[in-house]
Amino acid sequence: MKSRMYQLLWTEVRMLVNQFKQTITTPSMLFFYCVTVFGIFFVSMVVSSMLTLTPVFLQLGSVLEDIIDRGMLFAAIGLLSASSVVSGFFGLGPASGLTSIQENILLPAPVLPYQVFISNYVRRIVRRIVFVFLGMLAVLPLLTEANLLFFNASFLIMCFILLLETNYFLGAISSYIRIKIEQRTRSRLRFMVAALLGGITLLPVLPEFTSTFSLAFLVPSNAFTMVLTEMTGLFSLDISFIIGFELQFIVYMIAFLFTANICNYDYYEQFSLAKGRDESEGNFSRFARGEVDFSNTRFRDPMVWIMLKDFYTRLRSPFQIWKYVYVVAGTIFVVYLNVFRPEWFRSIQIPANLAFAIVPAFLLMMILLIQMSSVTSMLSFADEKENVYLLKASPFKTRDIVLAKFLLSLFEVGIAVIPACGLLIYILRIEGYLALITLAAPLTILFTAIGIAVGAYVPVLTNDPRTLPVPLAFSYPIINLSLGALMIAIVALFADSQNILEILPLYTISLTVLFLGIAAKAMNSYL
Amino acid sequence: MKSEELLRLARVLKIPLSKRAIRRSWLIEEILLEFERREPETAQARKLHSPAIQIEHLEKRFGSKVAVRDLELKVNPGEIVGLVGPNGAGKTTTLRILTGIIKPTRGAVKVNGFNMFSETVKAKHCIGYIPEKPTCYPSLTAREYIMFMSRIYDVPPEIALVRMRKYVDVFQLDEFLDAYIGTLSKGNLQRVLIVGIFVRNPPYVLALDEPIYGLDPRGAWNLKALIKRLRSEGSAVLISTHILEVAAELCDRFVIMNEGDVVGRGTLDTLLQYHKDARNLEEVFLGLTGGIPQ
Ligand SMILES: Nc1ncnc2c1ncn2[C@@H]1O[C@H](COP(=O)(O)OP(=O)(O)OP(=O)(O)O)[C@@H](O)[C@H]1O
Ligand SMILES: [Mg+2]
Repeated sequence: MKSRMYQLLWTEVRMLVNQFKQTITTPSMLFFYCVTVFGIFFVSMVVSSMLTLTPVFLQLGSVLEDIIDRGMLFAAIGLLSASSVVSGFFGLGPASGLTSIQENILLPAPVLPYQVFISNYVRRIVRRIVFVFLGMLAVLPLLTEANLLFFNASFLIMCFILLLETNYFLGAISSYIRIKIEQRTRSRLRFMVAALLGGITLLPVLPEFTSTFSLAFLVPSNAFTMVLTEMTGLFSLDISFIIGFELQFIVYMIAFLFTANICNYDYYEQFSLAKGRDESEGNFSRFARGEVDFSNTRFRDPMVWIMLKDFYTRLRSPFQIWKYVYVVAGTIFVVYLNVFRPEWFRSIQIPANLAFAIVPAFLLMMILLIQMSSVTSMLSFADEKENVYLLKASPFKTRDIVLAKFLLSLFEVGIAVIPACGLLIYILRIEGYLALITLAAPLTILFTAIGIAVGAYVPVLTNDPRTLPVPLAFSYPIINLSLGALMIAIVALFADSQNILEILPLYTISLTVLFLGIAAKAMNSYL
Repeated sequence: MKSEELLRLARVLKIPLSKRAIRRSWLIEEILLEFERREPETAQARKLHSPAIQIEHLEKRFGSKVAVRDLELKVNPGEIVGLVGPNGAGKTTTLRILTGIIKPTRGAVKVNGFNMFSETVKAKHCIGYIPEKPTCYPSLTAREYIMFMSRIYDVPPEIALVRMRKYVDVFQLDEFLDAYIGTLSKGNLQRVLIVGIFVRNPPYVLALDEPIYGLDPRGAWNLKALIKRLRSEGSAVLISTHILEVAAELCDRFVIMNEGDVVGRGTLDTLLQYHKDARNLEEVFLGLTGGIPQ
């Protein structure tokens, strides 16, 4: 029995090593990795030379102490745990780590569920550590410039990951509770338990428990917040942050072993049920689903067909509906904020001595927000799964396919960007520079085109069109960040000249066309 | 076979290599002798429980949909049973329950006398499964995967090496042995999975879900020949297939399913006797599952 566990672990490690070997022997993969790492390195060098961060960080502490209070900090981080517990309740728990490969090979094999779980988890954590390490190396210039000790920053990030991993286990335990309850009752009331569990997780973050050092610090979110406060000196209690880390680690190990212990065959069941659902459609989206009848359509353009097909297939995933709900509710909310400026939600008051840093910060935030919203464009080809080959084999021009994907993604990204930018201009008031927000439009167009190009490359690099290879996924934000920063540099450079009205559109359009061209070229060179 | 592999095999098999110059032919002969000395002893040592596969009152629901209804099925050692039926009949579901991937809504499954739900590990240890859609770890090499399977099923490494060599030759996998599984073609992947099953200790209890599908004629022929030989050596095989000629040629008995129900069972002769107007298995099948199209 022991040796089977060992075999499983050994094989997982073997696979990681093989993947690494494959990566460094595949030039295109290596290329994307290098783009990513050196890109981040370069960007962080540029950013760190542009912003003098040290005074910002020195004062950030006192600014933060003014804006938020200790209880809020604990509550905010506690919310992270609570949300994993609530979403874990509806989630798959350890079954979410299973794949159909394991379903066919390990599930019928004489191994126990906890062994499968542990080997899966070890792989996950090794990968995570490697990526974090690479990431830390890449942002080294930024860290040194900010006078943050490399050790401190790495340590904080490690603790944060520890918190996230513990949260994952909490979610798994919460899903176990759901399975147990569902074996007893199917009454609707069982969903109340999710709220109850979330509430229980939030209870120990109350100031009553956290204002002094107490047993409540065994709660992972509290332990992490303690590391944060003691390390930065923000709301410090003058205890060594190492204690916080030790508490975190102990609870992490307990949660890990506990989760391994509750892994049983029920999770196999959960997995195959979820897979069955995945292959059909979500419960929730059924009511919102429309039918498309391609035989009887007004449109005579294949581009429109592809767009309609994509639109309706997307509508069948529950996530998409939540997104539209978010867009509508979010837009209404930010309009309300900007018009009425309510008392209870105040924008951040920037101290005068920090004002110099606020415009770059605003722009950076804007780029990041648009970046996050535009991820859907990168996925628009991956969403096709194996059908991407069907699409390619169908009698459409490559140009039409790429344009259809681009236009629909532009719509999706555009509507998601609106609430984010609205919130940004409300929170970070940059009086006098408000016109900068108009840059959001060219950025959105450009990022969407880049996303399409990166997404179209997936089937070129692998023969599994469902999953984005890691370097590809990572190079996307880097390309965005670089070209976005370049756009802003151009704007800054030509700000006073009339030419900006020609240069900016030229820049945006030519790059957009270039990336769409790359996407079309990628589609013509699938493996 | 490459010389290094020969040497490695010789070392694992503990063939004395003290002579200065070793002739290749001598070494191959020694290894083959050693193969024979080892294989039968393991084959004869074990015998399967009778029946090797026993499914009782099996029912599986997915929500309100009944995928399998009240299924009874037995496979004895030395017997090949064909599970046939139209698409969506519940064949794959049955095999997935049999191999312990999913749980039945009701009913019991025993493999080699072990109950799949109370003695899960023991039961799973006995059964080999070829899934409907062949998938495997893309970043392992074929050799690594096969050795991994042998370790999971407690096969000593030297025996595993010998068996791997034997079945790799049967299925012409030699040149793909060190290729990443992600780069293999569908048929070769299927062969790797098959070899992964046969490195275990015989006799086997097999649940094969359309194993012929995707293999080329030679691969299919080899697999059929192998299954027939295993039957004579006392293995029990439950095989789901759409290719009725294969089923008719290979199987001793049939279970015909339609929409979750068993609509016919028995040997080809009894089926033909019962359905007087049918001339072959195909017509029996069509007659039982919605009528023969004109
Ligand atoms: N995870 C699942 N969730 C919901 N329904 C399922 C699931 N798995 C199978 N089914 C349903 O159970 C029925 C039987 O499916 P099964 O895969 O066993 O058929 P099959 O006989 O193997 O068909 P085929 O010949 O096409 O392989 C089908 O109607 C299928 O839709
Ligand atoms: Mg099937």
